[in-house]
Amino acid sequence: MSFLINSHPIEYESLRESLTSPDCGGFVFFEGRVRNHHEGRKVVGLHYEAYLELAEKEGRRLVEEISRKFGVRAAAIHAVGDLMPGDLAVWVGAAAAHREEAFAACRELIDAIKLRVPIWKRETYTDGHGEWIEGCRCASPH
Amino acid sequence: MKSPLFGLLLAGGRSTRMGRDKASLVIGADGLNQGQRAVQGLLPVCQKVFLSLRDAQTAPEGCEHLEIVRDNPSISGPLAGILAAFEREPDAAWLVMACDLPFVTPEVLAQLVHARSDGTDFIAYASATDGLPEPLCAIYEPSARAVLKRHAERNHLCPRHIMVEERATLLELPPSCRRALENMNTPEDIAVATGEKQIHIGWFGALAEERGCREETVVSSAPSAGAFLEELASHLKLSGLRGHVRIAVNDEFAQPDHPLRTGDKVVFLRPFSGG
Repeated sequence: MSFLINSHPIEYESLRESLTSPDCGGFVFFEGRVRNHHEGRKVVGLHYEAYLELAEKEGRRLVEEISRKFGVRAAAIHAVGDLMPGDLAVWVGAAAAHREEAFAACRELIDAIKLRVPIWKRETYTDGHGEWIEGCRCASPH
Repeated sequence: MKSPLFGLLLAGGRSTRMGRDKASLVIGADGLNQGQRAVQGLLPVCQKVFLSLRDAQTAPEGCEHLEIVRDNPSISGPLAGILAAFEREPDAAWLVMACDLPFVTPEVLAQLVHARSDGTDFIAYASATDGLPEPLCAIYEPSARAVLKRHAERNHLCPRHIMVEERATLLELPPSCRRALENMNTPEDIAVATGEKQIHIGWFGALAEERGCREETVVSSAPSAGAFLEELASHLKLSGLRGHVRIAVNDEFAQPDHPLRTGDKVVFLRPFSGG
């Protein structure tokens, strides 16, 4: 069970392997991919930047918290660097005895990562302009 | 009959250890930079104060009104400025002062001036640590000019060695000002001497872009992380420091009342947008 930040492209195969277990009948994973549009503007590229020391620490805490809360095996990996539409930005996985906890844990983990891990993205649009995006500060996920 | 006494503020050093112009460095709560503080000390005891600069160097902030004496380019070190001053005013005595002595008091300068007498070339304080002359807060009488030139011709450019060899008149620092001649060569010196803290800042995302760098070290007396944020927000005029900003100290989330210590690393966090 771990939380990693790697430069693009991220490799999640070994993480996925580490989660599977004979006592887990349900395995849910989420892939966050780069969208080619944002609020009506066409996005041609994304740059992710992390405050690595704190992001890894906080990410590991989240994985542990959620694993404990739902009784699941969980892990996540986030990309940093320059990504294009369609590229994999984040991978989150949760394995549990039954699908219910696996779905719930996976959902809660990706929501918590977006809210609590110090990573920022900068979008570049078709006209060459770029903008740092700021997430919502409210506690409810969306 | 004593010759007129002029002040010479030495600001031509390269400040390589400080990493920035020492004369422009603001130390202490009154907002004066080191150059301004030195001029404020020299003016009451000197007829006029000159600013010693390297070739093509511009005057530090707050010292633009001073008459400039350019270094003699064939000599390196403080002697270049002192000899250039004597070229300008051969009949004057010079109270030479480095721009990185923020603890020099009016009493220290007054005692130097009071010690002037016929037959001396140099009047200086003995260092509180090793007893050697302190040549960069000292009086050079007109007769010192020929002595300095003679040494410069033999490539003896260290004013302290010259003063030792020439048996400068040495004074003892007043007991209340034993640290008066401690100078400030590095940001650490300032932190130690003033109790101000040296804080390392890491910039990320929109803040790094607005600030134009990813890390820097500043000196601050802010007691807490929140006070430091407020201080920077008004000082640096970064729009990214307004609004919703969280703080991390030493790679951990911190509350605004988190106390700051010298050497701490502080990062300001705009709302995250990972995922």
